[in-house]
Amino acid sequence: MTTDITDQSFINSLIEKERRAQASGGRWLMVPIIALTIAYLTPFYYLFVTIFKTTEEYATSGVLQLPQSLAPLVDNVVQAWTLANLGSAAINSLTYAGIGSALAVAFAAAAAYGMTRLNLLGANGWFMLIFTGTLFPFQMYLVPLLFGYQRLGLVNSWLGMLLIYVAICIPFPLLVLRNSFSGITREVDEAARIEGASEWRVFISMIIPNATGPLIALFLLQFTFIWNDLLFSSILANGIEVRSIMVALQSLQGTYSTTGPNVVITATLISSIPTVLMFVVLRKYFMAGLQLGNK
Amino acid sequence: MASSASHMLSPDVIKVARSRERRAAWQQTRVAWLFIAPAVIMVTVFLLTPVVFNVILSFTKWRKFTGLDQFAGMANYQRLFAVPYFSEALGNTALWVVGAIVFPLAFGLGLALLLRNIPFQETFKSLYFLPKVMAPTAVGAIWYYVYAPHGVINSAVSGLTGSDFDFGWIFVPETVTLSIIFTFVWQTVGITMVLLLLGLAAMPRDPLEAARVDGASQWQIFRHIIWPLLLPTVLVVTILNVAAGFTTFDLLWVMASSYPGKRTLSLAVYMYYESFSNGAWAYGSAVAVVLGGMVITVSAALAIIQSRVEKSIR
Repeated sequence: MTTDITDQSFINSLIEKERRAQASGGRWLMVPIIALTIAYLTPFYYLFVTIFKTTEEYATSGVLQLPQSLAPLVDNVVQAWTLANLGSAAINSLTYAGIGSALAVAFAAAAAYGMTRLNLLGANGWFMLIFTGTLFPFQMYLVPLLFGYQRLGLVNSWLGMLLIYVAICIPFPLLVLRNSFSGITREVDEAARIEGASEWRVFISMIIPNATGPLIALFLLQFTFIWNDLLFSSILANGIEVRSIMVALQSLQGTYSTTGPNVVITATLISSIPTVLMFVVLRKYFMAGLQLGNK
Repeated sequence: MASSASHMLSPDVIKVARSRERRAAWQQTRVAWLFIAPAVIMVTVFLLTPVVFNVILSFTKWRKFTGLDQFAGMANYQRLFAVPYFSEALGNTALWVVGAIVFPLAFGLGLALLLRNIPFQETFKSLYFLPKVMAPTAVGAIWYYVYAPHGVINSAVSGLTGSDFDFGWIFVPETVTLSIIFTFVWQTVGITMVLLLLGLAAMPRDPLEAARVDGASQWQIFRHIIWPLLLPTVLVVTILNVAAGFTTFDLLWVMASSYPGKRTLSLAVYMYYESFSNGAWAYGSAVAVVLGGMVITVSAALAIIQSRVEKSIR
């Protein structure tokens, strides 16, 4: 007797069998996966028990032991906040990251528009010029930047920090946006141009709305990069009024610091809230940003 | 009306039309300049000019307070190999690059294959990705206490063995680099895994099914089907991780804050230490040039390999 392989019930039974085999394999795999994940997340467990301990409790109890009460958190936050001036540092970093990333993505978008939509002479040469900015390690910028900033009076200034962050966040978004703008059909803007729209209008109302996904993803990537930066801010702006949140965090930690681990760990949590929150809320865009590449 | 047709073809009219066209094209180029100007100016002033200046600087005797006075020829580069710190930093950087290639890839691939067909995959992906969203400074501060003498790892080992264990992971030369690389891997494995999962998901199912029907073992399927198809993704991940291996700074600087010989931990740290803790600007610039040369050479080589592999697959 032969089986009719086009018979729907036969196909369904095959699909069902395959699914069951996969599901049981999956169920068996869950044991090592969960064990591995628990081990992987131990530093986070450590973080969440530590923020509820006093310095004295931290020193006397085991580091992985549960805290005696939740109350010390308030004092830890207050200490971290006042010792490191976290409030003003957070506002500094929020403005560097928010404004810097928005300006960088806007400049990159405008440049990508000029390179893909207008008859720009030598468009490839201009692109290569900016793209060169992704090749060098940051270490090659530091000494000349510090020297130039000293000459221009930009050291320890809010504007100086913003300028370097904008510049450093332009090349990668340009690379991505040049690709995504090329993918938008030309009929859209040709029609608008015939209607008499200016290039600025075409850019703002035809191209930008068609690329919101990559634009948001790029904004998030660059925001995270600026918020997380220690290298540039530790050299160019370590003054207490302009320093970034990461410089403030670092000032709490290390050999010469007498701050208790419970306070330092609380400060790491506070300084991670904005980026982690953005990741949780806008996960879709973060993951899309990954597919664009990573910086 | 007939006369106007011949009038339109007269040389004069053609000339006028041509010049109008040229003017329109010229005008578009000028508009285009306005669009690219902010990006071009920012990148040229703040990134490219410093790089050129950095290279020039590396041939001078400049220190923080002496001012840019005289050229020193190759003196800074000769000094690199005359002091033991540089060679040590170079060796550790090599260790970092190898570690940044091998470990995230090995663990990331293992995780990706484990998580490929399981329920709650998205939740697991997010959990493993979370450390990447945090700053290396914050991750370093947490792991500083994880590795501390009475920190998480030593407590766990003490608890498991019953004896008192207080090894100084990031305080002794034998383990400091590997310990910090391990933290780097902890932070990077999630993004590596997510990228590899994307590569796996994009893979054609037919060859896999065919191999399974033919009775190929899991290892044979991986070795002869999954791995070659995944190679372009593997190379993308490798290019990202190699650059990170060469230049990681924040994590090292924070975690090695109590390590006496921290300047030797990598070229990125050595460059920072010499330039900004010692004020040897010209010498620090020379270190940066060497680092830049290595990063660009290795990245370019990998990019060429990647484009060849992609071509051969198509």
